[in-house]
Amino acid sequence: MRKPGIQEFKYYVGIRSLADIATREDRICVLNITGNESRTVTPVSHAYSGGNIVFGTSPGRRGQVVETPAGNIPVYNNVREGMEAGHKFNVGVVYLPPSAVRDGVAELIRINPDVEKVVIITEKISVHDSREIRALGQQRGVDIFGGNCLGVADSWNQVRIGGALGGDNPGETLRKGSIAIFSNSGNFTTTIANYLSIGGWGTTTLISSGKDIYINYAAPEFAYAMSNDERTKAAVMYSEPGGYYEHDVVFDKPVVACVVGRWKATLTRAVGHAGAIAGSGDDARAKEKWFMDKFGVSDLFTPENPVCSKKGAVVTNIAHIPQALTAVMKLNGVEKDFPPEGNLELKPWFGDNQGLKLSAALDIPVVKALAPYDLQIAELLKNVGAIFPRQSMKDCSGSSVMDPKTQVTKVNNISILDCSKQPLESNLCLALVRELNDENDNALYNLAVAAHVNLHNDPMLAAAEAAREAGNAPNTAISAAVALLGPKRADAARAAADSLTEIFAHSGLLTGDDEQAKVTPAAATAEQLATLLGSAPDAKAEAMLKAFDKRGAKSVFVKYLRSLKGHPTADAVLAALTTTVAWEPLMRKRISKLTVRNLPWYTKLFGMIIGASTEAKHHAAGSFCGVDNQEILDSWTVTQLAYISLLGERPTAASLLPLQVILGLIISNGVGTISSQGCKGAVSADGPESPERVQINKGMIGFLTHTGFAHGGNGYEGIQFLIENFKDTSLADASNPDQSIDLKKITTDFAIAFNKEKKQSKALGTGVRNIPGVNHPVFKGLPVNHDPRETYITEFFAERGEKNVFHDFYKTLVQSLYDNGVTSNVFCVNIDAVIAASLLKLLWPRYRNGQFSENLMEMAAFTAFLFGRMAGCAGEIDDHINRGRNMDTRTPASQCSHVS
Amino acid sequence: MNVSGMLHGAGLLKIVDFPASEVLGPEASEHDIHNLIEKCGSVFVKPIFRGGIGKKGKSGLIGRATDLKSALAEKERLYFAEYKVGNVVYKSRGVTFEGAVPAKHEIYFSITDSTRYRAPVMTLTHHGGMDIEELDKTQIIEVPFDPLTGLKSFIVSNALTDLGAPKEIISPLVQHLPKLWDLYHHYGMSTLELNPIRMMPGKSGSLVPVACDFKCGFDRDDPRINRLSLPDDLFVTEANDFEQEINELRTYQGQSDVYVINEKGTILAPTFGGGANSLVTEVLGNDAIISSDFGGNPPYEKMYDVMRISLKYYLKQTNVLFIIGGKANNTDIFVTFRAMADALRDYFSERGATPLYVVIGRGGPQVIRGMGAFKDVLDSLRIPYKIFGFDSAMTDVVNYAQEADRWMKSGGRAEVAKLLGLPAEA
Repeated sequence: MRKPGIQEFKYYVGIRSLADIATREDRICVLNITGNESRTVTPVSHAYSGGNIVFGTSPGRRGQVVETPAGNIPVYNNVREGMEAGHKFNVGVVYLPPSAVRDGVAELIRINPDVEKVVIITEKISVHDSREIRALGQQRGVDIFGGNCLGVADSWNQVRIGGALGGDNPGETLRKGSIAIFSNSGNFTTTIANYLSIGGWGTTTLISSGKDIYINYAAPEFAYAMSNDERTKAAVMYSEPGGYYEHDVVFDKPVVACVVGRWKATLTRAVGHAGAIAGSGDDARAKEKWFMDKFGVSDLFTPENPVCSKKGAVVTNIAHIPQALTAVMKLNGVEKDFPPEGNLELKPWFGDNQGLKLSAALDIPVVKALAPYDLQIAELLKNVGAIFPRQSMKDCSGSSVMDPKTQVTKVNNISILDCSKQPLESNLCLALVRELNDENDNALYNLAVAAHVNLHNDPMLAAAEAAREAGNAPNTAISAAVALLGPKRADAARAAADSLTEIFAHSGLLTGDDEQAKVTPAAATAEQLATLLGSAPDAKAEAMLKAFDKRGAKSVFVKYLRSLKGHPTADAVLAALTTTVAWEPLMRKRISKLTVRNLPWYTKLFGMIIGASTEAKHHAAGSFCGVDNQEILDSWTVTQLAYISLLGERPTAASLLPLQVILGLIISNGVGTISSQGCKGAVSADGPESPERVQINKGMIGFLTHTGFAHGGNGYEGIQFLIENFKDTSLADASNPDQSIDLKKITTDFAIAFNKEKKQSKALGTGVRNIPGVNHPVFKGLPVNHDPRETYITEFFAERGEKNVFHDFYKTLVQSLYDNGVTSNVFCVNIDAVIAASLLKLLWPRYRNGQFSENLMEMAAFTAFLFGRMAGCAGEIDDHINRGRNMDTRTPASQCSHVS
Repeated sequence: MNVSGMLHGAGLLKIVDFPASEVLGPEASEHDIHNLIEKCGSVFVKPIFRGGIGKKGKSGLIGRATDLKSALAEKERLYFAEYKVGNVVYKSRGVTFEGAVPAKHEIYFSITDSTRYRAPVMTLTHHGGMDIEELDKTQIIEVPFDPLTGLKSFIVSNALTDLGAPKEIISPLVQHLPKLWDLYHHYGMSTLELNPIRMMPGKSGSLVPVACDFKCGFDRDDPRINRLSLPDDLFVTEANDFEQEINELRTYQGQSDVYVINEKGTILAPTFGGGANSLVTEVLGNDAIISSDFGGNPPYEKMYDVMRISLKYYLKQTNVLFIIGGKANNTDIFVTFRAMADALRDYFSERGATPLYVVIGRGGPQVIRGMGAFKDVLDSLRIPYKIFGFDSAMTDVVNYAQEADRWMKSGGRAEVAKLLGLPAEA
């Protein structure tokens, strides 16, 4: 049976006064309390309202709680269970998805006969369900607010029910006063309250009505309840076009009506508010007229033409509301609730003309924001570098992304195709500081890495050697050495990087190499100086500084170290070099302070991995691979060091290029690769939310252990295939175009033989072997197919006049396979073929003269992969440390499967 | 999302067994048209407009033919007919041939949801076949009814009695009209109008109501429409490519409503909240490219996509990127601003720089962090900007954005282009 409602209404209305809408006595049950929106809003509401929520529901989550500053709110599967547990409530709040709202309302009012009010926050409820919800509420005698509203609040009672009126700090906006607000817009309910308080008016009850076609608690009910609320002296009503809710309303207290949306008369469908689309006679102009007739005014109120009466005023601009209200209340002899707290003039909190001369109207100076935002801005400006929000980084990366269409990976927005044109040192920095190096950066970084390749007398070398002798592949052998480069061996350099960052953070320095910049570094503390200087001269530091000069490099930080009275340590010099490279991205907030702090550690690891890849016999006290230590410091690049470590000889410019291209191409293949997953898992397990505890060397081991003969080592398959086809030829040098080798004949012979083999295999029902380097699951199906990455590299080499017989072989091969009926169209030569061809070109002379066995060739191919991929994986490690959550790469048990 | 005409209407009415006039589509053969004329005496030839276009008859857009030759002539005349409603020109995409239904009585019937009654309402008159606005109020009746029980026979019967309807039409209408509630309520409709329903003599001599024109509007938030398996492109005319792409992101978490105001506008204003949307679009007028509501605390990915699509279509022509909302209640400003700033940065990375002035006005949770994130990106892209707090009047901020647009138009754009190393005409 329906409860008796207020007699003045033909339909059911239960609320007599605005003071009864949101009271301290109301007890609330929230449906879908653990939903996304509720999770952030409900705890704030609960705490603001003195703990008025008795329980929430979320099917399947019984026993959980929603934590709030005012204590935990229990969660039950449904309303019945909550009530059986002894909870009583009179208000239901609905956060359910649209399709579930109607059933939620039915549950509330059918299970609990004591329900008096229901607040529906959900938007996009179908009209079908809205009409049934209206009928349900009427049938049972329940006042419903919404749907698509932001709930109700009471500034006197300090209660808000339902949505997020007043935002995350309701007390700031919900100021006690004499004005009630009824608004079709949830956001404007808060914004109008905010404007009113700036103008000296506080509020009583605030109602966000929603603006669906069905508005359950609408203008007539509001006007009635306002009349009975002694606290409320006047109201602000914000109305949009569409609907006749305001048409017959009678106010007996002053009202400022704000009608916005004249332009909506031209719309053919609603935007945003579903009900804000006029039919006939209910557009914005019509509504303005309704209100003007009620108030007995002839025009809209504007500051220039302040038309109002004792009954009210009509505005079309919410900024005019405080002024209109003040004018109306003045006619009624009512003063403001409190002194105005400011004005609504334009106040830029941030701004930058970027050096342009703007017109006077545009060039408004930035002002200090009102409290507490001024302090927040000051804190923000103090902060150096980016702060990345933490999220689950499982299968997710802020460092790399692969385009599924082109299969081309980008690392920090640079395509690996472009990376292939960069030296390894630049790609290593790209992965970490998110930008490519300029010449000076390369000089600095080459020196930084070069200082760490020679491992003579270092246990790391012994570890790698022992692991190699035990029969391990290169990745495992290197891992043994990497394990020894733990946090303690990086801490001094990291502390030095921290000191330099802190000293220069607010100096005005924008780029690390601008030695002429007029900057004012902070005075270093004794603790900071201790991280930079040693008590005695450091020979390694001196050698590095000498090399720094030799390379003609520029660094504000090196200059600073030299200006200090004392002996810079080698770690301080390393930190100065890496911080110079990182400074500009840090200042532009592309990278975090944490990355700058860890950069020396990554650098030591890179140098050590390159060093440990070659046998111990190549590490001597004064030289590495037979090259004098000082010469390496003075002039060698990281790419050259990788080359000599891999091939044991000095590179020429011509021989270096193919290696550079290969390394650039393989730095990353996206976050889904096993190597990326390995290093990210290692970070995740350490817990990136405490970044100091993450062992970056262990992250690198994660990468290394997640490579192997099938991932990284498989580059060798292509080499093996090429050797198979060329071992009986007279080829001496793959780059020499004057070869008498008939590629057409070799490939045709192969195609005929392969076709025969294929037919035999089919007859026997055994599988047909794949030809390494040919075909691709994406780039197929056309009469002639190309892997765009291979095309790009071909063009790059062609421009430079570089020749590679192995590459040409592949291109001839795909045509021969088609010509001889092996393939149905011309397959593409894929990127793996390019890598194999380039690498074999380098190794071929040594293979020919017997210096390199096939086994060594395989190891070299694998190691080359590790050199390239260590850049991409370092980027993933750093990205995961900055953004990830603890154990976020874990797969929930529900998504795992079992086989027996 | 409207459907008008019998081509689809007849099929929809069949679902609830409501009789409808015979209809042939644009692909009908001459043989079929001839047979329909033979059977019904004459056919109406009507252009097919997507959406709900009314008053075609008054505009001379309905042809009537009693022989095949004139039917084909009307087909030729109306097949690509154009019809202007307000500022919008609708173009016909074919014609239908509808068998004439001879009748003495024409009925108007509609169901819609009324904000006066806050309930579904049946509107009924037996003086149908014309604009009901032209009828005297005593000749037409509006009856609200309870949606939980639906449109019952007695409601129709009472209404017809109150109207003083001829007795021979009461019984057939009482029998058939309640079926239309099922069509309205169970398939996601928000309006349904049949005008006229012609009362055709049936086999037994009693009258049968036959729907001769059909209009309905669908509620796009109601998945029940999917029960009808209507063709995917039926509603396509309502949106351009941009709106189409944005609306694909439409989910209940976070709004993504847009409407293109002026394809040639110069202020791109992603707006947050239904209220801000109304206000800002009102003040910007034709300077605005789009009217939008992206409020409702959208997650990062969605906000990024919305911005990415907006920039893809309109940034090149934009002078002022204007991001505006009130003091948010629940929308996380850090999340939404970071997403938008990232989209802007990525646009510059992928498509190159474009001259721009950025104006922002916003308040709400994490507002300073959000503003800081945007500021960093704008600084790195070297774009001039002003970011206002929520203590600046929103309309003044809108006026400021317009001032910035004027400055850009009168030489400012070339200056920003120069700053970005672009040619002056960029």
